[in-house]
Amino acid sequence: MNCEQLQEILPHVIDEGGNADADAHLASCASCGELAHDLKHIATQAGLLLPMHDPSPRVWNNIQQSLVSEGLIRGGRTPGSAGVTAFPQRVAPPHRAWTPLGSFIAAAAVLLLAVVLFRYTPSAAGTQAANQASASGDQQLISRISKGDPAVGKAYEESLKQVNSYIADAEKAAKDNSGDAFASEQLMDAYQHKAMLYEMAAARSTE
Amino acid sequence: MKIAAPKGKLTQVKKVIAPGLSEAEAIDRAKNGDAEAFEALYGLHKRRVYSLCLRMVSNTSEAEDLTQEAFLQLYRKISTFRGESAFSTWLHRLSVNVVLMHLRKKSLPEVSLDEMLEPVQEDAPKKDIGSPDTTLTGSIDRVNLERAIEDLPPGYRIIFVLHDIEGYEHNEIAEMMGCSIGNSKSQLHKARMKLREHLKFSRAEKTAGR
Amino acid sequence: MKWPPRVRPNKHTGLQGDTNKMTKLNSTAVIGALVIMSASMAVAGNVKQSRLNLNPGAVLTIVNGGGSVSLHAGTEQQVVINATTYSDKVEVDTRVTADRTRGEVITHTLSQQRPSAEDAKVDYDIAVPSGISVIVNTSTAPITVEGVSGDITVSSDTGQIVARRASKSHLHVRSINASVEIADVNGTHVEVTTAGGPVRLTRVSGPSVEVSTTTGKITYIGDCAGGGKYKLSTHNAPIDVFLPETASVDMEARSSEGSVDSDFPFTKKDHESYPPTGANQGRAFSGTSNSGLSSVDLRSYSGRIRVKKQ
Repeated sequence: MNCEQLQEILPHVIDEGGNADADAHLASCASCGELAHDLKHIATQAGLLLPMHDPSPRVWNNIQQSLVSEGLIRGGRTPGSAGVTAFPQRVAPPHRAWTPLGSFIAAAAVLLLAVVLFRYTPSAAGTQAANQASASGDQQLISRISKGDPAVGKAYEESLKQVNSYIADAEKAAKDNSGDAFASEQLMDAYQHKAMLYEMAAARSTE
Repeated sequence: MKIAAPKGKLTQVKKVIAPGLSEAEAIDRAKNGDAEAFEALYGLHKRRVYSLCLRMVSNTSEAEDLTQEAFLQLYRKISTFRGESAFSTWLHRLSVNVVLMHLRKKSLPEVSLDEMLEPVQEDAPKKDIGSPDTTLTGSIDRVNLERAIEDLPPGYRIIFVLHDIEGYEHNEIAEMMGCSIGNSKSQLHKARMKLREHLKFSRAEKTAGR
Repeated sequence: MKWPPRVRPNKHTGLQGDTNKMTKLNSTAVIGALVIMSASMAVAGNVKQSRLNLNPGAVLTIVNGGGSVSLHAGTEQQVVINATTYSDKVEVDTRVTADRTRGEVITHTLSQQRPSAEDAKVDYDIAVPSGISVIVNTSTAPITVEGVSGDITVSSDTGQIVARRASKSHLHVRSINASVEIADVNGTHVEVTTAGGPVRLTRVSGPSVEVSTTTGKITYIGDCAGGGKYKLSTHNAPIDVFLPETASVDMEARSSEGSVDSDFPFTKKDHESYPPTGANQGRAFSGTSNSGLSSVDLRSYSGRIRVKKQ
């Protein structure tokens, strides 16, 4: 057997073993022997590679959003509750530690989102609870951010006003046009803007 | 104004599989739409799925999109999982199919996947006859090996990842890729040859002190 | 006087998740070396350079308050950080996990010393090699990303954000009320969300371009190329889209309370859900141009929507 003939069958030799001729050639030919050794070595080492990479947090965030919008997630709706599905991850800022305020802020945002997503027959109590959580959460957020930087606090205050106005408009439109996908989408959009504000605020902390 | 420095680990992903929650329980609960169970399963398997996708497409953004799609498909289909195979095997196979489907979509409709992935002539490894050289010995540095795999032409890389890293047999690869077993073996051999070229070149560079 | 380097106790325990067995090939030790760069007692512009070794696919996170952050493509394998501090009341912390899959650059103000905004600011100039994902988070510092491709996530409360020359990437931008400008970005998933900040996109195309603002004006100048999906939406701000005649789009525009008009030569088409008649008259249109390859959705609650020919 010559080198060319050996290399024709080399893949088989490496993965399944060779015949007597092949073995004899490998034993006598340094070049082919080294080649076979190297290829086996590469295959073996590759088999020892372990998964070493994590995807960025945005992957889970996107999955969450899709699961919610596809209705694959069911939250517990008991009487008197707002049907909160605990996805604190949704509003958790990437790579940030949570302060106690941050947790509260995020929970308030999730509550608002969940009220929108899961209330099919809006109740006065549910709306009131959501509005109260919203106003109180907004005040805490503004006051916290302002302590660190009053100018940035003002920016948040102004933005919250605008976003709340968006939510009010979108809620009215959704109520007046129930079943209209466009109106529902706008309402989701409005709440997502609010969630973004909370998420960015939670990334800041002051002493 | 102080910016909160991250404490502890660099990501905020919740610890996977909560205390007292086994994978089997998480699967059952996920079938009923339990949010925590979904998250637990994600945390447990995300690294393997993402690493697989990343090794196959060599692009972080694409790999993340594919990871996202794989898990979404998993969650959509989880009610059909009956435990005939290990959950991780099922998920793994699903992930491979997601990647291959993605690659098919990228190619022209009339070109088959293995044709699309067939490297051009200049990428093909050179035949190595009659020229003894230094052997690859000892453990190959993982980083160099990963880099070398990343640099493989897509057709070689996919077969190599599926066979040598992920452990699929040629008949399984042939079925997934819609190619012949012979083709799968041939591509694998070329991938290994190419890697050998790359790793020897890297070592030679290092020795030369560059 | 130079501050001696301080080594903080290691808070990182490395990667979480799988408890697979590690082999000789793979790193078992997750030590997480911590390097602190201290600012000297200079009056202004004290520049320190540090370098981070990150593996391809690693994630680099940059956190800054005031000052500026400028990211650009690097020519070296390492991340090269040039940080300019203006007082000794602020430090720059850099760290990398032992397996080099995560790196951080964080501005740390010494708040006990009550730094002013001027004292606390840091200007960063960072060269990023290809294959590294980047996350930038600032409060007031403007952020510029030029020629960096890959996975880029940028957010700032009030700092202007500019991203130019990226391709085949993922670009995520968030802002409270700062302006966002994206130019010469193609083949990229673009996602921008602002409350009040205006957003301007020039020659931006991708498989997916999504911009959503509350009150920030959106301006798009380009051809919506690539057979992608484009979605621009606002609450009450105007949306202006300028397309060339050669644009190949399938467009739908709708506003609940605002006006929608176009002087672009579309081939009008009927839309089942919201025919532009009755209450929707003047508030919706849909049409195609050329082969209608890319889908373009323009939506507002009460913002004016206009589509014009370039």
